[in-house]
Amino acid sequence: MIKTRTIILSLALAALATTASAQVFTGEHKYDGEHKNELSGYFMGGNNVVVQGYGGLAASYKYHLTDRWTVGGDAQAQLGKQLYSVDAKGGYRLPFKFLDFYFDATLLYNRYERWKANEKIANLSVTVESPYLYLRVGESYIRWSIRDFGYTEPLTLTFGFGAQMRPRWNSWNVGIFFRNYDDFYFENWNINWGLNFYGRINSTMNFFGEFNIRPAGSMSQLASKYETSGKLGIKYVW
Amino acid sequence: MRNMKYTLLAAVAAIVFTSCDKVSPIGVLVSGTGVEDRVKMSSKYYDEHKNDFRYLVAKGDYSFLVGADSHMTTDDGRMAEMLQIGFDHGDLFWAHLGDIADTKAEYYVTLEDVITEFRKKYAEKHFEEVYVGQEGNEYQMNSEEFYVYVDNVADMVYTLDNVPLPFYPVVGNHDITHNGWALWSNIFHSSFYQVPIIVLDANENIVALDHLIFLDSASGTLGREQVKLIEEGIMDGKEIEKENGVKIRNTFVFSHTNIFRPRSVEFASTFPREEMFFLLDKFAEWNANIVFLGHVHKWDHQTVNGIEYLTLDSMSEDNNPEPGDYLVRVNCKLDGTNSWEHVHMNYTPKK
Repeated sequence: MIKTRTIILSLALAALATTASAQVFTGEHKYDGEHKNELSGYFMGGNNVVVQGYGGLAASYKYHLTDRWTVGGDAQAQLGKQLYSVDAKGGYRLPFKFLDFYFDATLLYNRYERWKANEKIANLSVTVESPYLYLRVGESYIRWSIRDFGYTEPLTLTFGFGAQMRPRWNSWNVGIFFRNYDDFYFENWNINWGLNFYGRINSTMNFFGEFNIRPAGSMSQLASKYETSGKLGIKYVW
Repeated sequence: MRNMKYTLLAAVAAIVFTSCDKVSPIGVLVSGTGVEDRVKMSSKYYDEHKNDFRYLVAKGDYSFLVGADSHMTTDDGRMAEMLQIGFDHGDLFWAHLGDIADTKAEYYVTLEDVITEFRKKYAEKHFEEVYVGQEGNEYQMNSEEFYVYVDNVADMVYTLDNVPLPFYPVVGNHDITHNGWALWSNIFHSSFYQVPIIVLDANENIVALDHLIFLDSASGTLGREQVKLIEEGIMDGKEIEKENGVKIRNTFVFSHTNIFRPRSVEFASTFPREEMFFLLDKFAEWNANIVFLGHVHKWDHQTVNGIEYLTLDSMSEDNNPEPGDYLVRVNCKLDGTNSWEHVHMNYTPKK
């Protein structure tokens, strides 16, 4: 019992100590308080049940209005799926001890050209992030349409969990994640999981990547292969 | 001592969690019964037993009955009621939208018993029962295996096991968690198949051809093999039209997994978005009249570009113990029009 207490106390002290360290840009969330702009781009490729092979490009831009407030936008084009997406985002960061709370709002538009279908999503999420772990919960309001028909899904829970081998400010990292969303979709109870990583190229540039398994039927307890994909990209800040 | 207590508590919790009939924790991330294998097995079975999926023949107007999510356990009340309702009304066939029984061997024994009971009723009503045992053997006279059923119209002879009871199920996720595919396929054989209906007029001329399509959507995705077969046109009905020289009039599609979400908070997976659009597009290409869906245990009716989508509530005595309108009957007229209506179920579970 004493041993357990010692371990917990050591972890808490280590976590608190990290807040005192000089923060450096690490790629995912943590902000160094110095740069104003983040620009990233990545290649993606994958295979899915419906379209088989696909690939594309995505780009993302974020502007730090202050060290708390951000705005930004993302876009992607996926060949094969013929999926084109744009979004606009805004967020607020609330530091609390060794944790950061992120309150994010996203407006996303997807055009599924292959089926002449549209999807509009409004998402509100809260992410709590520690040096090694993050947890995200939120809600999506989804409106999709195909030909003359439109349908609203007013309530879709967003959830995500990730863990990293090294603290978030380390020059490299490898992590795992479980979540029901990705950069350009919010799912209904299908749990993606996979590995992600980043490495520092220099003080303003990171490379990053991800391997993602997107099953169908997770909550039907028959998770089956639906899509596997990978991303590889670079993030630049100034 | 305290550590021991926690360990025991964790062990008990783990056992309770993993032994629950409805829960397969590992299935949240990895499935034990793959849709690819099921579809390959089903396609092979269908190809090798095409005669078992024989044409249904309707003389003039006809109707059929649809139920969903019976989740049978030890009580066969609602399943027997569904079969009896269709039997009494003279429906041409029954369709079931999956999750017919929860995955336990004894539940499937109960299910098979009730199916066999109605197979016999159906055989006695539609075919001629002929004793083929040894004359004068009174023990054999009481044994079903010494009778055959002669279909004088189709010129076929069936044993009771082979009587083609027109009960068409699709497979649901609860049918096959805990590797229950072995139990389900032992009774129903194929999870991906089609059945044509030849419609005759009063002079027994073929006047129309209707088409029933049964999809395996239990895994929340059709899987690559099924998508590939669909894209190759296996379900587009062209071959059936060619064989009969008549264009398909009505197409009805049956799937377990729902497309629409009548419950705002639905603790169940639906199709990923691209696959949903693929299916909506495909149903339009097939000129489907009605698409029947289950899984979500809540009634819903949508019309998408002229196609009706009926999501049926669960007919299970556990989920809906009170009597209610859990079934749907479709009435198809000789003039090509069709309509549907709710059908009431009265059975309440045994206390």
